[in-house]
Amino acid sequence: MSISTNEQFRKKVDRANKTARIIISFGGYGVIISIIFILLFLMYQSLPLSFSVSIKEMLSFSYDKPDKRIIAIGLDQYQEVYYVLNDKGYVEFYRLSDKVLLLRDSVGLNKDEKILSISKGDYLKDRFAVGTNSGRIIQAEIRMLPEYGKQDRTIVPHFKVKDIYQAEIPTDSIPAHIEELVFRQNDDYDFYVWINHAQELMLRITDDYDEYRKDLTEFLGESKLTKLEMDYNAEKLIAGTISGELFWFDISDPEEVYLKDNWKVSDTPVSSLAFLIGSNTIIIGNTDGQVTGYFPTRTLDNVFRFMPVYSFDTHAAAVEQIYISPRNRTFLTIDSHGKAHLNYSTTNQTQIEFKPFDNTVQAGAIAPKSDGIILIDSKNQIGHYKLEDEHPEATLQTLFGKVWYEGYEKPEFVWQSTGGSDEFEPKFSLIPLIFGTLKGTLYAMLFSIPLALLAAIYVSQFSPKWLSSVIKPTVEIMAALPSVVIGFLAGLYFSPIFEENLMAIFLVSIVVPVVSLFGIMGWRLVPEVQRMRMPLGWELILTFALFIISVWLSFSLADTIENLFFAGNIKQWLYDAWNINYDQRNSLVVGFALGFAVIPIIFTISEDALSNVPDSLTSASLALGASRWQTVYRVVIPAAAGGIFAAVMLGLGRAIGETMIVLMATGNTPILDLSPFNGFRAMSACIAVEIPEAPVGGTLYRILFLTAFLLFIFTFLINSIAARISDKLRKKYARF
Amino acid sequence: MVNMKTTLRDNNLDTKVSAKTIIETIDLDFYYVPEEKALKTVNLRIPEKKVTAFIGPSGCGKSTLLRCFNRMNDLIIGSYIEGSVLIEGRNIYDKQVRLEELRNKVGMVFQKSNPFPMSIWENVAFGPKVNGVSSKSELDDIVESALKQADLWREVNDRMDQSALDLSGGQQQRLCIARTLANKPSIILMDEPASALDPISTGKIEETIEELKKEYTIVIVTHNMQQAARVSDYTAFMMVGEMVEFDQTNTIFTNPKKKLTEEYITGRFG
Repeated sequence: MSISTNEQFRKKVDRANKTARIIISFGGYGVIISIIFILLFLMYQSLPLSFSVSIKEMLSFSYDKPDKRIIAIGLDQYQEVYYVLNDKGYVEFYRLSDKVLLLRDSVGLNKDEKILSISKGDYLKDRFAVGTNSGRIIQAEIRMLPEYGKQDRTIVPHFKVKDIYQAEIPTDSIPAHIEELVFRQNDDYDFYVWINHAQELMLRITDDYDEYRKDLTEFLGESKLTKLEMDYNAEKLIAGTISGELFWFDISDPEEVYLKDNWKVSDTPVSSLAFLIGSNTIIIGNTDGQVTGYFPTRTLDNVFRFMPVYSFDTHAAAVEQIYISPRNRTFLTIDSHGKAHLNYSTTNQTQIEFKPFDNTVQAGAIAPKSDGIILIDSKNQIGHYKLEDEHPEATLQTLFGKVWYEGYEKPEFVWQSTGGSDEFEPKFSLIPLIFGTLKGTLYAMLFSIPLALLAAIYVSQFSPKWLSSVIKPTVEIMAALPSVVIGFLAGLYFSPIFEENLMAIFLVSIVVPVVSLFGIMGWRLVPEVQRMRMPLGWELILTFALFIISVWLSFSLADTIENLFFAGNIKQWLYDAWNINYDQRNSLVVGFALGFAVIPIIFTISEDALSNVPDSLTSASLALGASRWQTVYRVVIPAAAGGIFAAVMLGLGRAIGETMIVLMATGNTPILDLSPFNGFRAMSACIAVEIPEAPVGGTLYRILFLTAFLLFIFTFLINSIAARISDKLRKKYARF
Repeated sequence: MVNMKTTLRDNNLDTKVSAKTIIETIDLDFYYVPEEKALKTVNLRIPEKKVTAFIGPSGCGKSTLLRCFNRMNDLIIGSYIEGSVLIEGRNIYDKQVRLEELRNKVGMVFQKSNPFPMSIWENVAFGPKVNGVSSKSELDDIVESALKQADLWREVNDRMDQSALDLSGGQQQRLCIARTLANKPSIILMDEPASALDPISTGKIEETIEELKKEYTIVIVTHNMQQAARVSDYTAFMMVGEMVEFDQTNTIFTNPKKKLTEEYITGRFG
């Protein structure tokens, strides 16, 4: 009987063992799995950044009036309706899905009148203007607006002629052709620039009351014009010539239009011109197939000039059309053989080459949301393509390399994720963020490592028991302080004080060591007998007194010294003498605040390591005639090296990952500058600051996830390296 | 240096010690905590260049007494002494005495071998280094001669850069002896140096001690009476903090004057 109960008991124990094993291993594996899951999730969120561009043909059909010459084609923002405009001035709207004609209208041309030139007023506005062979310029409006029914959405097209202008008067002998035309509209004026049959360059600026008309031909000399282009703010007029030259007219003041600059792009004629959104970069296509991008930037002689910044894959034939994306820096170039290149200006890349039709391309457009392309060929075959290119602005080059952004004087690392307008180009260099993280960490470690390690050595090796029993819990309370509190105090309370007493704080860092040195020298003058009589712990009080005296000295001397040597204002002096700018929330303040957060980690772990060095080693060293200090630095510190190293690395990991302090105590300016008086933006703070501004699934959103992923890898690597090295050190030193 | 001739004093423990005295305790009381004597009025004269063994049951104060000679007891917070300890005629508890100098002169080997987690060379060179020897060649000479004296040179001369922790237990203990010798002390205190070792290693240590006593004064604490009989010239028997009997080892083991000593020697207690 006793055996059976014993067996029951055994079974019970076995069952308990099994359950415990399952639960414990579940916990253990759970941790590993959740870390892997976080890693995978971060990767999953940031991976779409690396997806390449794709163009997929959705529809290919023929426009049912093959004899009409189409001069413009376009899509609505949902890609449900397209329009075509033919040279007879008729505009027709069709539904893409079933090719049903929705609206047919006309710009109202006379008999025998034909459209020779067309200019879309803007990439998002709905105006366009056409120039005819009888000297008229007609401005019209095309709109395709969604209307919402109970369940569905229908796109309703509108068409309206807005303005008719007789630009050139034809005579019997001379036709009045508008050969090339560019039309823009800004808040004040309508701008028309055209080339007439006589190769004259004409400008007309008009509003409801005034009209300025000017003949710009005189500026051109002998040059024969081929193409015209104007930026979307109507400030820069660019005219391309047959000799590959470009003329830049400043037309921002209608009463004072002048030729600002001219330069040569190529030896071959300019065959197409287009400004990208943002009105800075102009893309220039030549008849030899060259595609280049220029934008104005300040040159060494302090004037603005268009500089050749981008060049893209060369076409085999003349570049005849350029269609820009209304969303980003994507543009489509099409040559006279009907071959198309999809380019992205900032990354300087031709992403895709394709040949949409057997024939040449007649007209085309990129959809308003930059997610589709519609093209029509010379035989009126229409192709509708889906364009998938969600994150063209994020490449390895833009994330980690120097990029020459519009308006900058040279390629730089820039982080500027959002701007005021749709035309703003986001700049996503992670380098300033990584730099910021490392900079903050560096200053924090410079401040915290010496303090924490010296404190740990003092507490573990020298201080009397009662003192260490005060210091240790105090430091632990430091660790419990929420970082938002530290950040708040540092950013809003400490940094103004710091700024106000900059001179005094500089002095403290000099006076404290000097006074301490004198203090030590003075102490040595005290007879040894008296020195020995001082109870343990008093040295701290004496040191503290010295410290207070030094601080008092620094503060009382600050004004005098500032007046004597730094012209009364050290900040101004720094700026004048060294061109150093002082920000109130700077790296020094962060160094102190972040260091404050890191000190408890380094202190606690290294103090443990130091205290755990066995007494037998200390005794051996002392018995050999080594002094206390010799024992500490020759025996105790090497023996605790593994633990000390681990402590420093853990502190480093904490500093890298810390968010609130760097967020609140710096200005969060993503600049690359080692100066301790500048702020910085750390990766963690950047994520915290920008997540509210990042639409889910957008480029910024994914880049922030990439940043998080990098941060994870950073800390993971540091901790792994720390674990490995401290393990090795421990093996080397700690086998007692 | 004051070399005191041993003279008869009003102390029942005084014997016919003919050698020069190097350590002398005068009415030495030791307290771990106030009012509780761990050593009670110990008067003792240890002769120079002899091996003196302290024996006695556990807790009798023999290690405490040993540690008074290089003031290792100072590390114990709250402990203090009364009376004095003279080494070469000088009271080592005098305020003028520098601890580092004293310990340089009075080396110590601990019960459990405690080499530093460094190379063999670094271990032996540690003492001279902290006492101000910095020339590499000088240190090399010191290390070599110390290792030779500790009878370890042959075993380790080809691996001086290896960690001392890779040595066997007996080798580690002899390394600790060599480390002490490197300081060229005049006195070596040994606190049960062989208690953690196997008989062969113990034998080697004892041989080493035999060699060393030609040049050094050795004071050894042991709970092993055979060891005391084998290696020592003089033996002190202690009990509950009192020095019961101190005499030539022969005398103590063959003809003890005190009954207590005899009982202990013959194994009736302890």
